[in-house]
Amino acid sequence: MNTLRISLALSALLVASPAISADGQITIWADATRQPAIEAFEAAHPEVKVNLVVDDGSSGGSGTFQTKIALADQAGEGWPDVVFSTQQNDAAWASKETNGVQAFAMPLNKGFLDQAFLDGYIPGALDPVTIDGTVYGLRNDLAPVLFWYNKALLDQFGYDAPKTWEDYQALGDKLAKDHPGYFLGSIGDSFEGPYIYYWSGQAPVFQVKGDAFTSNTTDPNAKKVIDLIDHMLKNGTLTQDSVFGASFVAKADHLVAIPGPAWYAGALFQNPGGVNAKPGQWAAAPPLTWSNGDKVTGNVGGGVWYASSHTANPDAVKTFLQFIVSDEKTAGTGGLPAYKAAADKWLDAQAKSGFYAGDFKGAISTAAASVWSGWGFPNFSPETAWAKVITPGLAAGKTMADLSADWQKEMQNEAQVVGYTVN
Amino acid sequence: MHSDVSTPHTTVVHPQGGGLVRTSVRGASVERAQGRIGLIFVSLYTLFLVAFGIMPSLYAIFLAFTKRGAFVGFDNFVKVFKDYRFLPAVEHVGLYLLVWLVSLVVLVVLLAVIVHAVGVRWLSTSMRFIYYIPGALAGASSVMVWLFVLDPTVSPVSFLLHAFGLGSFVETVQADHLPITLAVIAFWTGAGGWILVMYGALNNISRDVIEAARVDGAGPIRTAWFIQIPLLRKWISYMVILSFAGGTQLFVEPRVLSQASRGVVSQDYSLNQLAFLYAFKQSDFNGSAAISLVLLVVSLALSVYFVFRGGLFERV
Amino acid sequence: MSASDTPLHGTDSSPGAWLGRATAMLVLLTFAAFFIVPLIWLLIAPSKTDRQLLLDPPFALGSLNTLLDNWNSLVAFQGGLLWTWIGNSAFYCVAALAITLITSIPAGYAMALTEFRGRRALLAVTLIVMLVPSTALVLPVFLELSAVKLIGNPLAAILPFSFFPFGVYLTYIYFSTAISRDLLDAARIDGASELQVFARIAMPLATPVIALVGFFNFTGNWNNYFLPYVMLPGRKAPIQVGLAELLSNVPQFNPTNAASTTISLSALALATIIAIAPVMLVFLFAQRFLVTGMTAGGTKE
Repeated sequence: MNTLRISLALSALLVASPAISADGQITIWADATRQPAIEAFEAAHPEVKVNLVVDDGSSGGSGTFQTKIALADQAGEGWPDVVFSTQQNDAAWASKETNGVQAFAMPLNKGFLDQAFLDGYIPGALDPVTIDGTVYGLRNDLAPVLFWYNKALLDQFGYDAPKTWEDYQALGDKLAKDHPGYFLGSIGDSFEGPYIYYWSGQAPVFQVKGDAFTSNTTDPNAKKVIDLIDHMLKNGTLTQDSVFGASFVAKADHLVAIPGPAWYAGALFQNPGGVNAKPGQWAAAPPLTWSNGDKVTGNVGGGVWYASSHTANPDAVKTFLQFIVSDEKTAGTGGLPAYKAAADKWLDAQAKSGFYAGDFKGAISTAAASVWSGWGFPNFSPETAWAKVITPGLAAGKTMADLSADWQKEMQNEAQVVGYTVN
Repeated sequence: MHSDVSTPHTTVVHPQGGGLVRTSVRGASVERAQGRIGLIFVSLYTLFLVAFGIMPSLYAIFLAFTKRGAFVGFDNFVKVFKDYRFLPAVEHVGLYLLVWLVSLVVLVVLLAVIVHAVGVRWLSTSMRFIYYIPGALAGASSVMVWLFVLDPTVSPVSFLLHAFGLGSFVETVQADHLPITLAVIAFWTGAGGWILVMYGALNNISRDVIEAARVDGAGPIRTAWFIQIPLLRKWISYMVILSFAGGTQLFVEPRVLSQASRGVVSQDYSLNQLAFLYAFKQSDFNGSAAISLVLLVVSLALSVYFVFRGGLFERV
Repeated sequence: MSASDTPLHGTDSSPGAWLGRATAMLVLLTFAAFFIVPLIWLLIAPSKTDRQLLLDPPFALGSLNTLLDNWNSLVAFQGGLLWTWIGNSAFYCVAALAITLITSIPAGYAMALTEFRGRRALLAVTLIVMLVPSTALVLPVFLELSAVKLIGNPLAAILPFSFFPFGVYLTYIYFSTAISRDLLDAARIDGASELQVFARIAMPLATPVIALVGFFNFTGNWNNYFLPYVMLPGRKAPIQVGLAELLSNVPQFNPTNAASTTISLSALALATIIAIAPVMLVFLFAQRFLVTGMTAGGTKE
């Protein structure tokens, strides 16, 4: 006991913990990519003192946000005021009371922020963080799925750019017959299948309602997606290579088109380590849809800002949040902003470079506003089940038709262990 | 100079043939002085032991048998055993342990003996260095290395991977091969350290003993098998105990592979990873403690055996 | 005279012995290749661009320009945060090393060569604590350090780092096998106090184990990821946590991050090399002490 007292006395001299302070300072946990935007905030609002703790933004499934808050809850102290996470499904756990401690995320639309402000978002951007009508976070950026195509190649082959999934499959057939070796996409990364094909294909394989999780891989839309993928895998127009892998990069000049998120622009096409496209070679088009289905698409990413329910400084937090998502110079922190006014400005700036043919701004705006709201955001990701079941299964020669039931079962199991009921 | 310790009635006899035979009557104050210095020397360590070893372990045990502070008996254990990921994880760890432990013990002792027997100084030193360096790459820093080394399309050892019929990264990290892949990675990072320890232990064996064996006509293999290895008994036991415990607590290697493969190697491959998920993904610290306790009990059981078999608590 | 100065089985040149030596050499070199090939790859990697890493043969050399570009992008990341991370690691590990040696070596000595009540219990408890999975210890240690308001303070890493039961046990085994109690008793008979026995007899003979314990402690702490991850985020993070942060800026590992501060794979390779370099250096330094062979005890005349 004496030791404890001594160390308490000593530590009083050494305290430097990143905790809540009641003197106008807010503590923010964010990753390195957000730092320029946060510095811009500090310049614009010198009255708010910011203590930025840089972490990995919970990327790559590291679960930093949830881990650290779990520890802070147990200790009864140490919560930050604002947190940024690159994942979209943190509201699933942050909105709930855990182990007797109040929910971490502060509700933002019950008087904290004006509804007028929240209405400035692109419709659907706040779906992942809205639970039972309460908004628990502010979306930072969007990553809607649209359709990218190699205009040069399509012109060379004399084909039209497809507008529906059926056209896409038909194009694959034509390529397989007349130009073997040319392909139309990849499902080698675990984010492609679920988000680019199933979500865009409006397949109800990942849905949440309250505490219940459902996944139905036998739904008609799901079956259509399964058939599409199997068909194109079979005729070689879909590859199992990761878009970041050596094999893909080696044959990237044979890529004719690919449905994918907005950030493919920088990560794939303008990346010398990726497709390494030339200006004007590639074009952006509105997302593919089923010919007789709703005009919806999927989404692959987009981070969220959360405010702490334990904060001692709500006014500063409010000022920060409003700036960081809507400031026209820095919103979106490099990606497509989720706030409409900022998004328009960002798209104009991007389109000015003229790198992409086609109506770049129109394609992305359409995609951003049509993300299907029927996709769920439980406290786990479909990617882990996909990577565990489908990726090795396909590599071993099975088909999506063989594997889908297993994938569904694995997702249902994962749902159960994190506390959802499965029917 | 007289110390403050009196040593009456001591007689020492030196018979021929070496070795000191003590026929002394120890003074009580010698014992007390020894006891005092012993306690003083362990005091600081004991402080740390209590703060970072005993109290946290007791808390973990407390967590394993309670839920929100209330005693619930074995409920947490039952819940963990019924988890659909538990048995697969046990199987994974079991297979891994088999491959890992056997190869580690055999190869470490073999390599240590050979390195020790090498006559050329610079060769011995550089071999020890080369064997050890991978140990610096344990953990998070090695993700990138494995991402490339295990991918037959870009790997520096692609000929080896192709020889095993592996054509892609996904195939290499396939669940069937994983125990072997993980054991190889763990051996790569961990063997060097133990080789160093064994080398140091071999250095402590009196050269007279080795000389005597040579004079008797024993070749290197017989010397190793009959002289050196038995004298390494304690060290080998220590290595087995810790490696067994380390093996059951398999965590870093599958986590690194999980990151490198972006999920193809699942996040719940090993029991320790499962404990981690319970604590930080499911906010269930009690279930997590239950899994850890199971691992501890298993390691303990084996350790008890080796402590007595290897004479770990005995002194020369 | 070190054990490796003269060969133990010298100049026996019969064909059997020669074959034996050749086999031994083959084994040695095969394993050397096994251990070193991935590292050679890693050393070459920062000189290649990402495209070259993926498409060129594994051992093809890149260009100096790429190496410089990678270096610049690393050093520029967050305004030289790389050096802060390394500095943090060095601080925590050196401080922990000092405390570890002060606590562990005397403790191991005491358990091996003195007699006191609770000696066997202490040995048993040390061994048991070593077997407890570290996952189970994270939360309690976090709670302890949080209670004394040390989270975010370097002590939150240094203190747990200094708890090194592995080293205590290593020291215990070493002292109990390498030094005979008779040797110490002889000194005691000659009138030396316990402290003198420890300082004058045991310590000089203990150089190899001090080097071993110090080295393992330093490396183990340098490579420790999870403890500093929860205790010391942000600018106080050590290099392992920093590497994980760098990793999250590599598009390959974090595809959904439309990052403006992108780190390429080859820059990450360079960062990895920088992160492990200090361990190499410490090893080279400690090597000399590790080799100081010594005969067992001093009583076998």
